[in-house]
Amino acid sequence: MSESPLLVVEDYHVGFRTETGLAKAVDGVSFTLNRGQTLGIVGESGSGKSVLNRGFMGLVSSSRMIESGSVLFDGQQIVNQDRQDLWGKRIAMIFQDPMTSLNPVMKVGKQIFEPLRRHLNMDKGQARERAIELLTSVGIPSPAQRLSQYPHELSGGMRQRVMIAIALAAEPEMLVADEPTTALDVTVQKYILDLLRELQQEHGMAMTLITHDLGVARGRTDEVMVMYGGRKLEHAATETLFADMHHPYTEALLASTPSLAHPKHTRLFPIPGSPPDIVDPPPGCRFSPRCMYAQDRCTTDNPETTSLTDHEYACFYPVGSDAGAEALKHNQDAGQTATGLKIGRAKEGAH
Amino acid sequence: MMIALLVAVSMLTFGAMSLLGDPLFNILGPVAGDTENPENLAKINAAKEQYYLDKPLPERYVRWAGDFLTGDFGVQFSTDGQPPVANLIKERLPRTLRLMVMAQILAVAIAIPWGVLAASRANKPSDRISTFTAFLFVSLPNFALAVILFYVFALKLDWLPDTYNATDPFFGFTHKHRFTQLLLPAFTLALPTASVYQRLLRTDLITTLQEDFILMARAKGESRRKVLYGHALRPSLFSVVTIFGINAGALIGGALVVEIYFRIPGVGTAIVEAVLREDFPVVLALVMIIATGFVVLNFLVDILYTFIDPRVRR
Repeated sequence: MSESPLLVVEDYHVGFRTETGLAKAVDGVSFTLNRGQTLGIVGESGSGKSVLNRGFMGLVSSSRMIESGSVLFDGQQIVNQDRQDLWGKRIAMIFQDPMTSLNPVMKVGKQIFEPLRRHLNMDKGQARERAIELLTSVGIPSPAQRLSQYPHELSGGMRQRVMIAIALAAEPEMLVADEPTTALDVTVQKYILDLLRELQQEHGMAMTLITHDLGVARGRTDEVMVMYGGRKLEHAATETLFADMHHPYTEALLASTPSLAHPKHTRLFPIPGSPPDIVDPPPGCRFSPRCMYAQDRCTTDNPETTSLTDHEYACFYPVGSDAGAEALKHNQDAGQTATGLKIGRAKEGAH
Repeated sequence: MMIALLVAVSMLTFGAMSLLGDPLFNILGPVAGDTENPENLAKINAAKEQYYLDKPLPERYVRWAGDFLTGDFGVQFSTDGQPPVANLIKERLPRTLRLMVMAQILAVAIAIPWGVLAASRANKPSDRISTFTAFLFVSLPNFALAVILFYVFALKLDWLPDTYNATDPFFGFTHKHRFTQLLLPAFTLALPTASVYQRLLRTDLITTLQEDFILMARAKGESRRKVLYGHALRPSLFSVVTIFGINAGALIGGALVVEIYFRIPGVGTAIVEAVLREDFPVVLALVMIIATGFVVLNFLVDILYTFIDPRVRR
C-alpha cells in the first residue's frame, strides 16, 4: 500500500473557456509523486504550474474551467470529483503571499484552530495546546501570545510560518507549496524553504514546491519538473537535472536567475520574448519562438518526450547533445534562429 | 465635531422657525390679531412675556438651548392649552423607535443571507432573479408596497392584524399584539432597505471572495457555509454598516407614508402636524431628537468598524 505512489497524474489537461477559445492552461502533463518525496515544479508566470496544482486539487472555482485526464490520489480517481474531503486533511496548501492569504479580520489562533477542530475533532483546549506546539515547530517565538494576535500584527516571515503551521495542522499526506517564498524578503526566504524541507521530511509528507526560481528547487527537492506553456518540457531527479540539463528552456531559465553561487558581476541572460498564447499556441515546440536552438523542424513538429532513466525531456536538439550543439552553432552562424529570433554571434561563456 | 453639528442644526432650525408666522396666533387664537381691544392687548403682552416672545432672537435661542439641555423641552403652542412638549415625545417617540428597530432588524436579517446567497452564485440565474427582486423593492414607492402587503397579509390571508381602523394600536393591547400590529409597517420599511443592503453586501462579498484568504480557507477544508459566513462576511460589511447608520438615523424621524397608511401616530406625523400649525417648540424638540439620534448612531457605526476590522484600530 505505502509502496504505491501517492499521486499519479496522467495526461492531465486544464482548460478555461474564454471568448477567444479554450485557454489550454495545462496541456497533457503526467508525473508521479511518491510518499515523502518532493517535486519541484518550475516555470515562468503563466507556465501553468499553479493551475496544474490547483486544478488537480479541485480548488479552481471557475465555472469556465474544464479538466480532463487522470489523477489518482492514493489510488483514487479525483479528476472531476468533489475533492473537499481531501482539502486540509490529506492535501494541504500554502500560498504565495502570506500578507493576503491569512484572514485579516480573524485572530491567528482561530485560523489555526479551524483545521484542528474540523479534521481532528479536537475541543477548544486541545486545539489550543496543539496550535502552540505547531507554532513552536515552525519557529515562532512566544506562540501562546500569537494566538490572540491578528495577522497584521505579524511580520511577513511570521505569517508564512503561521500559514505552514495551519497547513500541517491535520498532518496531511501531501503539501502543495505554491511559491511559498516569492513574496518574502530574501533573508527570510531561505529559512522558510529550509523549514519546509525539514518539516516535510519529519512528517514524511509528499510535497510539490512550485517556484519560478530554479535555485529554490536546488537542494530542496528530489525531482524537478520544468513547465512551459502548460506543458512539461523536462523532468529529472534534481541532481541529474542540475548536472546535465537537456532542455534549452531549463538552461535559459537558469541563466536568467541570479544565484549566490555565482561569482560577483555574473551576467544574467533574460529569456527574450514572452510566454506563449495558450488559447492559440504556436505550432511545434511551444518554446521555439524564444529558443536559441530552434530549427525549422521545431516550428512544425511537437517534440515527443524522450525518456531516459530518471530523465525526461521534450526537445529535438537537447543541450549537451551533438544535435543540440550543431543546432546552436548553425543559428549563431546565421545570426538568427529558425523562428527569426536574433542572437549574438559569439556568446561569452554564459554556460 | 458631533456637538458642533448639533448646535448648528439647532440654530438653523430655530432661525427657520422664527421666519414662520407669529406664534401668538397658535397660543391665543384669533385674539392675537386684535391689538385694538385693551383687554386682548393685555393678553397678548402677557403671553409675549410668558414665552419671552418680546425678547430678541439670540436671547430666545439661548434660553431655549439652556432649557433643552436640562431636559425641559418647553410647551406646545396650541390654542387649546399648552401641554409640555415632553408629553408628546413620550407618546410618539417609542412607537417610532419600536417601528425603526423592528424594520432594521428585519432588513438586516433578510439582507445578510440574501446577499451571501447572491454573491456565492454571482451572475447565475438565481442571482439575476434576486437582483431583479431587489430593484423591484427599491423602485416600488412605499405606499404601493404598503398597500400590497396590507392587501395580501391582512385582508386576503388574514395572518396579520388589520390595523386599518385601529385608532391607536398601542392602547390597551398586549405586547404580542403590539408586535404583530407593527409587522406589516415594519416589513414595508424593511424590504426596500434590505434590498439596498443586499446590493451593497453582494458587491463587497464578490470582491472579498476573490481574496487569497478565501482560497486558503477553502484549501483548509472549511465548509462552503463556513467560508462564506465565517471568513467572507465580516470583511464585507463596511458598506452595509455605513448605510445602516444613515438609514436607521433617518428612520428616527419616522416614516411618514408608512405612519399615515398604517395609522401609526409616530414622530413622522407629529413633525408634519407641528410644522403645519407652526408649533415650533415641538418642531425644535423633534428635530433635535432626530439629529441627536443620527449623530449617536453614526458614532456607534464608527465603533462598529473597529469590531469588523481590527486594522482600523490604531
